[in-house]
Amino acid sequence: MKFVVIGADAAGMSAASRAKRNQPDMEVTVLEKTMDVSYSA
Amino acid sequence: MPYNLAAPDRDIEELVVRRAEVFRQKQGINLLTGHCASRIDPAGRTVSGTTPEGKEYELPYDRLLIATGGTPIIPDLPGFDLPGIVTLKTLADGRYLKTLLKTGKVKKAVLVGMGYINLEMCEALVRLGIEVDMVKPGPVFLPWLEPSMAQSIREEIETRGVGIHAGHAIERIEKTAGGLQVICRDLQLNADLIVVGIGIRPNSTMAVDAGLELSVGRSIATDRHARTSDANIYAAGDCADAYHVVSGQKTWIPLALRANRAGWAVADNICGKNAELEGIAGTAVFKVFDFEVARTGLTASEAAEVGFEPVENMIKARSKAHGHPGSSPIQVNLVGDKKSGRLLGAQMTGKDGVAHRINGPAVALYCGMTVKQYSQTDLAYSPPIGPTWDPTLTAANQLLKKL
Repeated sequence: MKFVVIGADAAGMSAASRAKRNQPDMEVTVLEKTMDVSYSA
Repeated sequence: MPYNLAAPDRDIEELVVRRAEVFRQKQGINLLTGHCASRIDPAGRTVSGTTPEGKEYELPYDRLLIATGGTPIIPDLPGFDLPGIVTLKTLADGRYLKTLLKTGKVKKAVLVGMGYINLEMCEALVRLGIEVDMVKPGPVFLPWLEPSMAQSIREEIETRGVGIHAGHAIERIEKTAGGLQVICRDLQLNADLIVVGIGIRPNSTMAVDAGLELSVGRSIATDRHARTSDANIYAAGDCADAYHVVSGQKTWIPLALRANRAGWAVADNICGKNAELEGIAGTAVFKVFDFEVARTGLTASEAAEVGFEPVENMIKARSKAHGHPGSSPIQVNLVGDKKSGRLLGAQMTGKDGVAHRINGPAVALYCGMTVKQYSQTDLAYSPPIGPTWDPTLTAANQLLKKL
């Protein structure tokens, strides 16, 4: 299963992290246009 | 972010919850920063865009999540692109502002918009010794709050020397010899820094181009599984809509908890776990100087718009037991439905004990409780924590008389 996420903030990284926890063999790719991820505004 | 900006000794990088290397190395996520995605092909199931080196890439997917967030709205007026005019959304915005504030050259700031981000910014800037004026075109300060409650917040801010200019449509911003000037028809405000905080719009262009259905405020339409109109594509966070728990209708209220929760639901759903999302109540709290302002559910006018027959009642109570030192006034406005007796929403203001007290009514909304049922709940009491009758119970008792 190839799971692709566009956007690496709250929703995107929550999904990517949990998908990987649920299924460690899943191929998870996150595309982020900036250089910043997962910050609290 | 405003709290970090208010504290010169706090590093802005503290706001990063988890660094990219941790996601990559410890969690095994292929996190590609600097990779702008620009096009989704739902038929071919690919995403394409450009790498940091400017090369085109195309990536195949089985399941896709659009979590593109929102972008601050900037008025389409002359001068809003001048240097010294900022929004507060990304970490890059925060870094820019932190550096600017450190120079000590910002003596006067004008905040365009009076929503909670700018109210938090107002406090942050005043704490840094900066002179602040707030301006917006709408005539009413915090229009979703009961007028006397809004007035007490306004007075709290004005007491700190902040100018509140509601009802002034901005015509343009001009560069002056000394800095910037915000120009309204009958008002000119000088500034070294202008913060625009009039809301965000969902980043849904890519979804539109991919032929996905849109919803309230051009957010991406999703079902209770966070799935879009394409079965392989999900959307979550500030770019996606939600059901309102009170009205059952679609709404768009971009807030952090929902973004995190919807992200989890997407992960579970693509792993075959069937995660269904409840609606949202728009529960929110913010602090401005000594005041806490909280809300959950619908205001009376929002309730009327979606077909309820709302009745509201505002009460004044105390944050601690009668005569207990440190007690201060709390205002609670409850909204109920005349037809069904159901609790529809609550707004609360005060200097003590407001923030977490909103969670009682918030949970009641999820249970679909009537005002009468809420009035019968067994809430905690101790003199330093609250009165025997919790202020939300007093509010429910009083509202019952009108229902």
